Amino acid sequence: MNPSDLILTVNYFVLGYFLAINAIYFVLYLISFAEIADYVRREIFSGFSELFTSNYAPPVSVVVPAYNEEATITESVRSFLTLHYPLHEVIVVNDGSSDGTLEVLMQEFGLYESDQPMRMQLETAPLRGIYTSPTERLIVVDKENGGKSDALNAGICAASYPLVCCMDADIILEEDALLRVARPMIESGSVAAVGGIIRVANGCEFEKGRLVKVKTPRKPLPNFQIVEYLRAFIAVRTAWSRLNCLLIISGAFGMFRRRDLILAGGYSSDTVGEDMELTTRMHRVLRENDRKYKISFVPDPIAWTEVPDTLRVLGRQRDRWHRGLIDTLVRHRRMLFNPRYGPVGLIAMPYFFIFEFLGPVIELLGYAAFVAGVALGVINGPFALAFFLAAVGLGVLLSTAAVFLEELSLERYPRWWDLVKLTLYGVLENFGYRQLNTLWRALAIVSFLRNNTNWGAMERKGFRTREENE
Amino acid sequence: MQVLAIILWAVTVMFALNVMMIAVTLGIKAARVLRRRRTQTKIERLEAALDQTLISGEVPPALRHLGNRDLDLLATMMVEYLSLLRGTERDRLVRLAKETGLVRAYFDRLRSRGRWRKARAAENLGYFGGPEAAAPLANLLAHRDETLRAVAARALAHIGTPEAAGALAQMLNDPSELTRLRMAENLERIGTLAVGSLSETLERGNPPARVLAARVLGNLRVHDARPALRETMREGAFPDLRAQAALALGKIGDPDDIPALLEAAEDGAWPVRAQVASALGAIGDVSTIPTLQKLTVDTEWWVRLNASRALANMGPAGEKALARLLEGEDRYTRDRAAATLEERGITRRAVRELDAPGEKGEGARAMIRAMVRAGAVRYLERLARTLPDEGARETLRRTMREARES
Repeated sequence: MNPSDLILTVNYFVLGYFLAINAIYFVLYLISFAEIADYVRREIFSGFSELFTSNYAPPVSVVVPAYNEEATITESVRSFLTLHYPLHEVIVVNDGSSDGTLEVLMQEFGLYESDQPMRMQLETAPLRGIYTSPTERLIVVDKENGGKSDALNAGICAASYPLVCCMDADIILEEDALLRVARPMIESGSVAAVGGIIRVANGCEFEKGRLVKVKTPRKPLPNFQIVEYLRAFIAVRTAWSRLNCLLIISGAFGMFRRRDLILAGGYSSDTVGEDMELTTRMHRVLRENDRKYKISFVPDPIAWTEVPDTLRVLGRQRDRWHRGLIDTLVRHRRMLFNPRYGPVGLIAMPYFFIFEFLGPVIELLGYAAFVAGVALGVINGPFALAFFLAAVGLGVLLSTAAVFLEELSLERYPRWWDLVKLTLYGVLENFGYRQLNTLWRALAIVSFLRNNTNWGAMERKGFRTREENE
Repeated sequence: MQVLAIILWAVTVMFALNVMMIAVTLGIKAARVLRRRRTQTKIERLEAALDQTLISGEVPPALRHLGNRDLDLLATMMVEYLSLLRGTERDRLVRLAKETGLVRAYFDRLRSRGRWRKARAAENLGYFGGPEAAAPLANLLAHRDETLRAVAARALAHIGTPEAAGALAQMLNDPSELTRLRMAENLERIGTLAVGSLSETLERGNPPARVLAARVLGNLRVHDARPALRETMREGAFPDLRAQAALALGKIGDPDDIPALLEAAEDGAWPVRAQVASALGAIGDVSTIPTLQKLTVDTEWWVRLNASRALANMGPAGEKALARLLEGEDRYTRDRAAATLEERGITRRAVRELDAPGEKGEGARAMIRAMVRAGAVRYLERLARTLPDEGARETLRRTMREARES
């Protein structure tokens, strides 16, 4: 085969790959559309407020790992304590902070040392003490530093209630977040875990740990991520959940049935993608135990988080995410194409392997072959241009469809300008942002092969109030 | 060239689809804005007609022969009015719902195939359908859709007749936990008229149904259910049920149940003993202090926790008993007693009373000394640093020093 033929073959392969992934997206979008439409209708009659006042909802333990959060921890804990839920406790795990996180909490909530026993069903770094508040349902577990996963495991051990909600300390939750996310769990005893939509908080206004106004940010980078999050959460995860193939419940906010979480072995401390690894392991363990189970997703914007607004931090985050994905696929490779694991082994794992893990490599290969093809004259100019435009058009369509789903079902952006802006960013992301992401993810494969286990710290600017925005 | 044509065709399609998607998105937003405005106008018109009807008693033409959408709007407004009106005005509004054809229309819609139409009809029949709506709504409780079952349950709770309660209590046996919880909350909303059905479920329901029935009876503080609850606490086949019955007796709070509770304090299952401790604390009779003291050395932490908290609810006698526990042999009991005294603010109060004359001051000093001897000093030391009054800080430090030296 001469080089020209090779380049042409590669181009056809990439074209086929491109068509396959878009066909899959098309199916996922259709499923999501039906699922969200049903969810929204259901919401009208759900009677959440009545369940909330009835005291019949099963109690929830909210686990919040904290490492050097002295500046914000009080406000975060207060906002978690005031969530609308009949009975919930907040468990803050001080993961060996070197600042005054524990002292601030002790002072603010009048904590005293508790003799409450912990069911140490998961291994964690040594504990230093357990404190409780005399007035609030707050437990603070003080332990040696062991990382986020380790802190979450300690919190899960300390949890008294059957449902455990794991979240980041700096997440902003809607007031009825717990009710919404707990609903599938109450509805069916077979639901082992539930995830919710994480939304981009940059640009929004907050008061006392609560969201008061939804707006798009000024900087372009978070806007690109809003469109990305809309696609990933609204359009894709909803569909995966419908197929009971959801392989990731975001570490920023997820609810688990404690007994299933313990059965799966809790969070793994030696991975950078602990959220995806745990969700996949839950599928694996529950399947291996012949359990009838479901891992669900609530297509409702219930948690808001700050996303990176510089390329450096975003690059590190994407690198970590992709390393986490590869690590999960490697650890659970026996699930791949294995009918024993049902749709997870036959649909989700192959999809994540072929399209998520290999995606960036094939995309880069496609760009190279495309340029080479045009340069060598194997692909003619008009053909190249037409293909490029079609690819961009399809990329834009996925984004505009996600914005459409958002507007149709959730209506979180009240201003016209925000919708127009998001649509524009959906177009623009195809020229640079998308390629940059591909590059980061491809480099992450190299980084993974070099055995890099760096977490890649997130630099947070903090949530803005109305005054600060003005 | 054929491939090129295909791709060109794809580009055109992509472009068209994108334009269409954007147009549809913006169109939806525009349509919503327009619809909201139109709805607002309609609401104003219907509101005026409704007010006029309530004053005159006559149904104006504007409220007759309404379309489906307008009927839903009118029903929503009438539900809002219902929450504001009382007595004859309320009756007049319910009558009006019949005269405007609203009730008939919703009875018809209850038979429709669309589940959301059914749901809307059920919701509104709960308010306006009256007792005759109970039977068709009870049928909906068996619908396969969870949300529809929830709507029907709410509607039955609004109707609130014994028949409605019977249908809800029957559903306490449902396999879905959410359905069961919803039935329980709605039975609680019905209140005393649901007691008969609940008592029957307590006797004959499946295990989860019996637990919930006991819980609702306790929440409703039903005195007449006490014999059945006592029996359940004694003979219940599984610990959760016995524990729930004990808790319910505590909520009802009748001292006549104390002998049965004291007997249940010997139960082999710790959840039962834990709830017995809570129940005794809720009743608050000082004669139960010895039993509670015994429960504070239980092998299970939750029993010890509830028992020491119960003692803290018993006034000065309970506080004294807690202080005595500080002198006990068992370290865990001492720690728990100290923690309870701290969390209930008893320690803080004692610190303020250290200088008080007579028995009060003596009691306070004895408690602080016992805490120091028990090793529970961390909280006291914090108080000794942070109390606003320098004199009080010094007194506390002195008392602690004396206790250590003695």
